[in-house]
Amino acid sequence: MNSVDPTFATSIDFYVILASILFVIGAFGVLIRRNMIVLLMCIELMLNAVNLLLVAFSTYYGKGDAQIFVFFIIVVAAAEATIGLSILIMAYRNNKATDAGLFKNLNG
Amino acid sequence: MDALIVIFLTGLIGLFIGMLKKPHLNLGVTLLGLIIAFFLQLYHGYYTSPFINYQVLEFEVSGLYFSLLAIGFSILIVLGGYRYFKRDANHTGDYYGLLLFSLCGAIILIGFTDLFMFFLGLEILSIPIYVMVGIKKQDVLSAEASIKYFFTGAFATAILLFGIALLYGATGSFNLNEIRTVIQSGEYQSSYLLIGILFILGAFLFKVGAVPFHFWGPDVYQGSPEIVTAFMATVVKLSALFAFYRFFNGTFQELANFWTGALYFAIALSLLIGYIGALKQSKFKRLLAYSSISNTGYALFVLLSTSNSSLGSLWIFLVGYGCATIALLTLSMAIQNDNDEISAFKGVGFKNPFIGFILIISLLSLAGIPPLTGFFGKFSLLMNAYPQHLYLVILALISSLVGAFLYLRLIVLGLSKESESERVTIGLWHYIVLGICAAGILGAWLIVTI
Repeated sequence: MNSVDPTFATSIDFYVILASILFVIGAFGVLIRRNMIVLLMCIELMLNAVNLLLVAFSTYYGKGDAQIFVFFIIVVAAAEATIGLSILIMAYRNNKATDAGLFKNLNG
Repeated sequence: MDALIVIFLTGLIGLFIGMLKKPHLNLGVTLLGLIIAFFLQLYHGYYTSPFINYQVLEFEVSGLYFSLLAIGFSILIVLGGYRYFKRDANHTGDYYGLLLFSLCGAIILIGFTDLFMFFLGLEILSIPIYVMVGIKKQDVLSAEASIKYFFTGAFATAILLFGIALLYGATGSFNLNEIRTVIQSGEYQSSYLLIGILFILGAFLFKVGAVPFHFWGPDVYQGSPEIVTAFMATVVKLSALFAFYRFFNGTFQELANFWTGALYFAIALSLLIGYIGALKQSKFKRLLAYSSISNTGYALFVLLSTSNSSLGSLWIFLVGYGCATIALLTLSMAIQNDNDEISAFKGVGFKNPFIGFILIISLLSLAGIPPLTGFFGKFSLLMNAYPQHLYLVILALISSLVGAFLYLRLIVLGLSKESESERVTIGLWHYIVLGICAAGILGAWLIVTI
């Protein structure tokens, strides 16, 4: 078992609860909001909840590898936001709206 | 690793050649790179040690076989789609570049040793596909498919990352072998670990397209160009299944009692919903998407067995499934089925006997009729799970019957005497792709049997 930072050992649960609340807010946002730009923001919120959780665990175990993982997540999130926004612009040109509910051509 | 570098560089060069707007040059360079990568991987499999370790990536024999399959399928897809690019020469370079980058992700996903590489591989695999799905910029359906795939995919990525974070919190490591050691020793935070495994399971079921996270599949497959549909249905599925296997049958093996129940549920529903959903479809790619959901259900049987031979069964199953899917989608491209209607296949087999032959063997192989590869794959997957999971195997046989009805209906349609078009001619490269697919369907099971 890894060595655990004693000053941090009792409070790790609070970080997990906070990150979980942020994550759930983001997930609910993705499920109920219709505006696609807000959807992108909600996904970013979920990813940042994960970042917070990883940093907390990294301090808890006294190891740095989770913090490096956070940098990877930030980079990938930036790439994903870029792609997402460009897809959104393309969809906007076809549809003249950013409402996810308007995409009803594919079903069955 | 060198195969990976070759593929990446080919993609990069392809992007620059794309600016010259010479589709044939682009196709040639891409094929050359893929074939070099294929033989490099083959060389490693046979002439150097069977276990290659690059610190962050390692390929055992099974990993090499699966990466060979991924590269081989990509070659067939690129070849089969050559005429597609003739029609819009503006984006040819982008297509080939993105396809190759995505293939890099697939190979990383097959060879990862820790969660860093796993996460990066999954994203390198997914992000180019978000773009490729929407590459027909003026097409409303393509844009819609792209939007749907992007948002569901990004959501699944976030869920996967939350699972990984909890897994790290429970075990204190990102390395799969270390995580396994910690799980075996029993010194972990059990609630974090179990919730983390559930999140990772959900994200994987999404990526392979199994019920209850299958809803994106039919929409995305229908909206994207055939060549991208073929890539998603074969290469993406293959690498995600292999990573799924390594996670759950390797690292989480000790906790099998915990996750088997959820997996049972997913497999049973995939087997039923896929074929039943396919029965009422009139669009060809949509039908293939539903049938691929059921085929994923069969492939997931590999996770239920503990024997070492099960990866071989998965490999042979995927050869049969992939060759048949690529053959069918290549046919759909070759007969220029732009509206994606099933009725476009009416009578094509009667007009052109070669197409009829391909149609018959690929559909029979998907239905699981011996002595075709699809049968041997399904048979050995089910046999591995047979004594312990009897009810699931019975369910799989019932769903096979529904599937056989579905595929036989297509064969009858393809061989009917009245035809929509006068003469059906397809290009030389289509003949080559279809021939290779036919060889795979007819003879690939010999490799494993011998």
